[in-house]
Amino acid sequence: MSKFVNEESVLEILRTVQDPDLRRDIVSLGFIKDLAIDGGAVSFKVELTTPACPVKEQLQEECRSKVSAIPGVESVEVTMTAQTRSATSGSGVKLEGVKNIIAVASGKGGVGKSTTAINIALSLKQAGAQVGLLDADVYGPSMAMMFGIDGRPMVNEQKKIIPLVGHGVKVVSMGFLSEADRPVIWRGPMVHGLIRQFVEEVEWGEIDYLVVDLPPGTGDAQLSISQVVSISGAVIVTTPQDVSLIDARKGLKMFEQMKVPVLGIVENMSYFICPSCDGRHEIFRHGGGRDAATELGVEFLGEIPIDPSVVVGGDEGVPIVEKDPASGAAEAYFELAGNIARKLSVLAESGGGQQGPIMPGPIEWK
Amino acid sequence: MSEAIQPAEIRQSGPRELEIRWSDEHTSVYDVVLLRRACRCALCIDEWTGAQILQPEQVSEDVRPERVDLVGRYAISINWSDAHSSGIYTFDYLRKLDPSLTEGEAGEET
Repeated sequence: MSKFVNEESVLEILRTVQDPDLRRDIVSLGFIKDLAIDGGAVSFKVELTTPACPVKEQLQEECRSKVSAIPGVESVEVTMTAQTRSATSGSGVKLEGVKNIIAVASGKGGVGKSTTAINIALSLKQAGAQVGLLDADVYGPSMAMMFGIDGRPMVNEQKKIIPLVGHGVKVVSMGFLSEADRPVIWRGPMVHGLIRQFVEEVEWGEIDYLVVDLPPGTGDAQLSISQVVSISGAVIVTTPQDVSLIDARKGLKMFEQMKVPVLGIVENMSYFICPSCDGRHEIFRHGGGRDAATELGVEFLGEIPIDPSVVVGGDEGVPIVEKDPASGAAEAYFELAGNIARKLSVLAESGGGQQGPIMPGPIEWK
Repeated sequence: MSEAIQPAEIRQSGPRELEIRWSDEHTSVYDVVLLRRACRCALCIDEWTGAQILQPEQVSEDVRPERVDLVGRYAISINWSDAHSSGIYTFDYLRKLDPSLTEGEAGEET
């Protein structure tokens, strides 16, 4: 009987649905929007804190089945949407319209950091988020090529740089400023000035997640960018070898000193799935990233297999998550991106890395 | 080591006072002239020996900040009226500079 169906009974049952990360029910979190009841037909929207939510389908199914069980309900329409929360704090340069800044770092080069950054960015975009990518790897810019972007960015009337768009992601690269075959030689102070100019003078527009590909190591450039922009969280890329874990520790220490929250560690080149026998081969000692994460007290965000098509995808300008979203490597990236988005939502909900703006802007002494 | 005590608010509270209210509700008030003398940049402190290069009497009582900026999430930098601007004051260091916080523990110099 439809007389049982009213707003109260629907909300009451939805109060039993919990967001697993924020650990509160979705009604008191304010996720339920546009609840409409027409006889036995119920429809509403669930507005999550990130489009890349890993449990989106489960939540949708739980809402649907629970509401369907209310006597008198004949049909249920659950639409999943997302309003990305911002986890940036009051410090550093404010980037207009940018809600979250994710730094992708590594203690040393050669661990696949840029590839990871690109595929994280594209995974978040595929989940429905507005994504930007800042290639700050001044020592070896390669992002333009890996993204299949050619050309130089335009400048608008306000003298702001307009990002190029590749695969639906806004990209600004230091590579745009240099010749492809010539490594950029920058001294510390130049790096600082350049990064500052770059982040301040780009017209990003509305961005849910800005992924920043940091140069490898723990030198001037990494320090500069962490000083200039207010990073919501850092992801450290490592490989299973021991040396690389030592470097990851260095990276972790650096962010700790600069009070940048470390979202966790990613282990790249973790294992190899043989295309002919389908067997999983652990070429390097496996699980080192997970051990390091446990030891250092940060989250282990995921492991990415070695897949020759990842590299080919990079060289061809079509990254793996775009080229072959069903592949094992792409799935690993989707999971990784989901974990990152989840951690950022939790950070945003707890008031970012810190509470409120410390200083709304520079203090001009009077 | 990474105590999560952060400034909640930083402001000018007097002609020569910089005030920081911390996340633990403690409020520190710094005399800006003393802050200028406590600069730990490479021009004021020898990078190798840690010896003090800047002598207190070299800093005029009239020195004032012109502008105070945040540095990332961990420090502030100050442009001074004597044209000095290379110093970074980390929040950890500022906590140590507050006499009301360091009594009891011997003022360690790191």
